[in-house]
Amino acid sequence: MADVVFDGVDKVFPNGVQAVYELSLDVHDGEFLVLVGPSGCGKTTALRMVAGLEEITDGTLTIGGRVVNDLSPKERDVAMVFQNYALYPHLTVADNIAFGLRLRRESKSVIEERVHWAAKMLDLSPYLARRPKELSGGQRQRVAMGRAIVRKPQAFLMDEPLSNLDAKLRVQMRADIAKLQRDLETTTIYVTHDQVEAMTMGDRVAVMNQGRLQQVDTPQRLYDNPANLFVAGFIGTPPMNLLAASVASQNGSVSVQVGEQAVPLSDEAMRRFPAVRGREGREVVLGVRADDLHRADRRPDLPAVNANLELIEALGSQSIAYFRIDAMVIGVDEDLIDEREADGEGVTAARPNLVSAMSAEDAVGLRTGERVPVAIDTKHIHLFDAETGAPLR
Amino acid sequence: MSTAEHLETSAAVGLGTRTRRARRRPRVLGGTWWRHVLAILVILWALFPIAYVTSAAFNANQTLGSATLVPERVTLDNFRYLVEGEVPGRPGDPPTEVPYLRWYANTMIIAACTAVLTVLLGALAAYAFSRFRFKGRRLGLLALLLIQMFPQLLLVVAIYLIVLHTGAVFGFIGLNTLTGLILVYLGGVMGVNVWLMKGFFDTIPAELDESARVDGATPAQVFWGVILPLAAPVLAVIGLFSFIGVVNEFVIASVLLQEQDKFTLARGLWGFIDQKYSENWGTFSAGVLLAAPPVVILFLFLQKFIVSGLTGGAVKG
Repeated sequence: MADVVFDGVDKVFPNGVQAVYELSLDVHDGEFLVLVGPSGCGKTTALRMVAGLEEITDGTLTIGGRVVNDLSPKERDVAMVFQNYALYPHLTVADNIAFGLRLRRESKSVIEERVHWAAKMLDLSPYLARRPKELSGGQRQRVAMGRAIVRKPQAFLMDEPLSNLDAKLRVQMRADIAKLQRDLETTTIYVTHDQVEAMTMGDRVAVMNQGRLQQVDTPQRLYDNPANLFVAGFIGTPPMNLLAASVASQNGSVSVQVGEQAVPLSDEAMRRFPAVRGREGREVVLGVRADDLHRADRRPDLPAVNANLELIEALGSQSIAYFRIDAMVIGVDEDLIDEREADGEGVTAARPNLVSAMSAEDAVGLRTGERVPVAIDTKHIHLFDAETGAPLR
Repeated sequence: MSTAEHLETSAAVGLGTRTRRARRRPRVLGGTWWRHVLAILVILWALFPIAYVTSAAFNANQTLGSATLVPERVTLDNFRYLVEGEVPGRPGDPPTEVPYLRWYANTMIIAACTAVLTVLLGALAAYAFSRFRFKGRRLGLLALLLIQMFPQLLLVVAIYLIVLHTGAVFGFIGLNTLTGLILVYLGGVMGVNVWLMKGFFDTIPAELDESARVDGATPAQVFWGVILPLAAPVLAVIGLFSFIGVVNEFVIASVLLQEQDKFTLARGLWGFIDQKYSENWGTFSAGVLLAAPPVVILFLFLQKFIVSGLTGGAVKG
């Protein structure tokens, strides 16, 4: 077991594409760290650099205090679980799991003992004599896990190991893997594009975008205090509503102007985002979580805006209401500046731009097509600089 | 749907149709009798040449012109001549020595060595071309392809000169050596085989290599332990084809092997019908018949490897 430390790591591919910029990240000993981001953000490349499958262009990478930049995968003593499992089809489950041990010339008795230990951990004991093609997707996934844990490596590297499973199995394996990691206390770097997986599994979550690390923190802190617009929009389901707004002040009280409508900021919001003061007339981005939007008639204490109700999705205990409000949406996937210049691309009000998650009870009586007053819990809102994307703290 | 579930479903579906078909069998067979007739005709058509050569081998009459498909007089003399190594000449002439068994051994040695080495060298080259990125990779692949454009016949003169002069320095790969011929064969088919194998290796997911490397395998261990077992079908095909190719090859063998003791079967048997020993079609046919079993056996043996879908289950399908 060991810590994994990225120090200013760059990755430039031979074709000139830079996948990772100046990545500095400290994965603690025994920690479960999730690398999350949209596709092409460099998270897998970062993981492959730890495994030794990609060369490190610049910076240093240490595993357990040892610089591994120029070490072969074999010398790094890490184990990797691939998205498509990468099982050896010509070997049985037992031989698949034992593959790494055999290469290390462990004795037969040790191999047998460890394979059975791993199979027991993963409920694979009845399948040891089978070939991969005779297994279900979930079982194959567990064999891939078994191959990783059997060696008791310094670190586990997992590259979207659940993305090939169906939704139900994924939820179950999510819990299984998290538990396994806690039992084994092996440092784990887990790559996913699914922020729900990231939030539920990771001790800490590192959010990446366009090759750059955006924020590393515990899941709750990421959710509560996103370091920038990208993290705000990426973390959370449904995603945070991000609306173009401007700051206005009247008689000393500050409000944000969303389209034609003004939302007065509460004292709490002013305390959390003091930098908003003195920005009168400037553009900002207002971020509101779906959970912080309510029916105005249920929460008369909160400021409200009017919006057209476009669609309601009933999920049982909860209903997701999609509103359209007269304001520009800020997309977070593209570069913020480009977004503003492109004007209209993802900045459209043709689609619903305000999503509320309300209890099923609250959704009763709402009818699509109507103009509904929506209350905003300003205590929990987020305010970002429209140009830099930084929070106005 | 996972692959396993999918398989189960399709198996269930297959079972269903089978039981249905079984129930309807009498009527179905009634409608397809012509297929069986056609199949039998095709088999007869295919077996016809074999019937002819078999007939000639057992026929006491050495010429083909007057031979009938069913021999007038059946004899094992032709086989005896070959095994004993002597063919009687024309009346009055002394018998001709024919080291048939020597030729047989030569052919098997050359074919086996060529097949094994072709597979091995081709696989090594293909692995490098498929998995490594190096300077000259593209150029190398193109060159292999371009060189294959020219039929080997064009090279006979050059090959002869090369082997002649090389042999002057390194006797063991010169003219009239099996090793020399094997080397020539190895070079001759390398290009196509490398391309074929590279194409197959490209379909083996790179994650398998990577996974093995992270597990602690060296590139050599990846090659022997992961790639080669998975490539068994293509290796079997290429091994088989080079074996057959060498058994059949005539021109280069004739040019490079000039002493009777070094002949291959193709070159040696030619002697029976090029009028040197007068025309001994019967003996020739017997020799050809005896030469067939190794190829047929090899074919049957490798058949089980020549199946697709060996990579099934490696990755999510």
